[in-house]
Amino acid sequence: MKQPGLLKHTDKLNEQMARYGVKFGIYKNNVFKEQLFPFDSIPRVIGHKEFMLLEKGLKQRVMALNLFLKDIYSKKQIVKDGVIPEDFIFASSGYMAECEGVMPVKGIYSHISGIDLVKGKDGQWYILEDNLRVPSGASYPMIARELCRRSSPETFRDNKLEDNRNYAGLLRWTMDYVNTGGHTVILTPGRYNAAYFEHSYLAEKTGAHLVTGSELKADNDRLYYISADGSREQVGAVYRRISDEYLDPMNFNPESLIGIPHIYDVFRKGNVALLNAPGNGVADDKGIYYFVPEMVKYYLGEDAVLSNAPTYLPFYEKDMKYVLENFDKLVLKDVAEAGGYGVVFGSSMSKEQKKDFIKLLEKEPRRFIAQEVIDFEDLDIVDNGEIVPRKADLRAFVLMADEPIVWKSGLTRFSRNPDSFIVNSSQGGGFKDTWVLYQ
Amino acid sequence: MAVLHFSYKMEISYEEPVGRCYFTIKCIPKEDARQHLTSMDILVLPESRYSYGKDSFGNRQIYGCVEEPHNKFIFQVSGDARIIQTDYEEEECAERTGMYRFPYGKCIPGQEVLNYYSSMDLAGCNNNYNTCMYIMDKLYQDFSYVPESTSVQTTAEEALGLGKGVCQDYAHIYISLLRLAGIPARYVCGLIVGEGESHAWAEALIDGKWTGFDPANNCLVLDNYIKLGDGRDATDCAINRGTMWGGGRQSQEVSVIVEKK
Repeated sequence: MKQPGLLKHTDKLNEQMARYGVKFGIYKNNVFKEQLFPFDSIPRVIGHKEFMLLEKGLKQRVMALNLFLKDIYSKKQIVKDGVIPEDFIFASSGYMAECEGVMPVKGIYSHISGIDLVKGKDGQWYILEDNLRVPSGASYPMIARELCRRSSPETFRDNKLEDNRNYAGLLRWTMDYVNTGGHTVILTPGRYNAAYFEHSYLAEKTGAHLVTGSELKADNDRLYYISADGSREQVGAVYRRISDEYLDPMNFNPESLIGIPHIYDVFRKGNVALLNAPGNGVADDKGIYYFVPEMVKYYLGEDAVLSNAPTYLPFYEKDMKYVLENFDKLVLKDVAEAGGYGVVFGSSMSKEQKKDFIKLLEKEPRRFIAQEVIDFEDLDIVDNGEIVPRKADLRAFVLMADEPIVWKSGLTRFSRNPDSFIVNSSQGGGFKDTWVLYQ
Repeated sequence: MAVLHFSYKMEISYEEPVGRCYFTIKCIPKEDARQHLTSMDILVLPESRYSYGKDSFGNRQIYGCVEEPHNKFIFQVSGDARIIQTDYEEEECAERTGMYRFPYGKCIPGQEVLNYYSSMDLAGCNNNYNTCMYIMDKLYQDFSYVPESTSVQTTAEEALGLGKGVCQDYAHIYISLLRLAGIPARYVCGLIVGEGESHAWAEALIDGKWTGFDPANNCLVLDNYIKLGDGRDATDCAINRGTMWGGGRQSQEVSVIVEKK
């Protein structure tokens, strides 16, 4: 791969990104802090054939997850047929009874899905988790590519890679496809949100209005955008970057100040599209993850192309036995946590901790999953002028309109700590561009 | 079977004017195999445009926004309801009943509820109906009805710890106990003949039919009860929910009339 042009620009690229505000914010001890998201200029490169396989598997997975959501909030055939136990639906923190019987526009629940994968040292890709609520991250490789092209155009002339600058167009098409008539807006909680850079960047690139809750108003079963001069215009699609809970104080958390009263009632009547639909948490729950390959089989009649990391559900006696016997080689995850929190390695626990954890596990078996630790491939990064290997994952983006489309790029995140497997940006990691070769 | 005339009126007074208020009112008797509405009137003041809808629990709701500044918000729903049968099948939401089997919201059991549950001797109850009756009787003996001893926010766990409460608390505790016993149970908000305020009770799903139990009165729910709404706990079917700007301190007055015709 020819990329020397890029390598020497690393510092300059990071400077430019800082100037563009490529940041994410985190709250630490209740204080809002913005951090730069360190960019490493050595791209992750995925070959054409390899990506075709990923594409096939991701499309299949996102189709099945959408069908699952549609089923769960209506007939629940998959539960009736005994494929998934009722407990993993109704006792899941992601299940929202408020979404029962509500059909989103064109039956699409997850318009924008962020699927996290890792590549094992054996060369096989494994799905780590599905993010079907408000997955973020597409803007980072978008702007990285834009800046890289500018600083080293020859790199992109000499390598046969897919252009990833079409994301904005794909996203726009996805929003327009479900628009019920009127404007398309991107709803942000505001300036002090972790992903504010992304909200404003996507709005700029798609041509959608960037709005906060106070600029939208539900009235008479329609949603309106209220402009600065007080005039109002109907809104037909909302790409909302606010979690379900805070979306509507009249239907969800009554304390929400950033939501829009009655927006969910407008949605319920089919008069506005919400991307993604509320209630998706029931499908990207770590407990439900275990069942996704079976879901693919159940809804599509096909075998899943992409595998999960080998996962055990202590909920099942057989799995519990395995977990207790192999505790030290497994990683345990709390199904209710996200962002790299609630993840513990069996091997890293003290005797005392282990005892307490097993007690908890036996008391609340549904709360945890256990997985084999995948020895995943290292990627090279530049650290203080030296090239060193680090663990990395890939968030692939799948957009769902009339059919699923996999974006030919993705967000590659790496851990800056050589001993860590956790790559989440909220835990201090960096990112790379993801190249997909077209031949 | 009975025909009941009912009226529910709520008047909320604010110390300072409210500039804008969004409201959702769930106060229209549910239409199902159990009851049928023959007439109905709705009044909302200040006059404002509102929409009709149905929530995900099958409750009927009206919702809208009052745009003009006001110191008083009043709504009244009145009409006639025919109560047809007491235990009944519900087709519309049949596949959702799983949600009533698991701990949720104000009915999540804590140590108090768990200890209380394990202190009960359910061995003699040979079916779910008997279990429901037994638990209702036991709770009625051990828990005291004391007006104003709890608030609308009080959970089953907290109320049981206090040992006293109102109909909402009886219903919450009772529901959390029935769910522990593996019986799907839900919270019901409604009206009963001769009482000046709304009432709360529980329904349990027994052999495919919803049966009403009134743990605050230790009796079965008969045709003198009108159901307004139901849900996993009181919040799901709260009669009135609002988001407002301004208002300061508020007070509310509720008047209820239910008569046999």
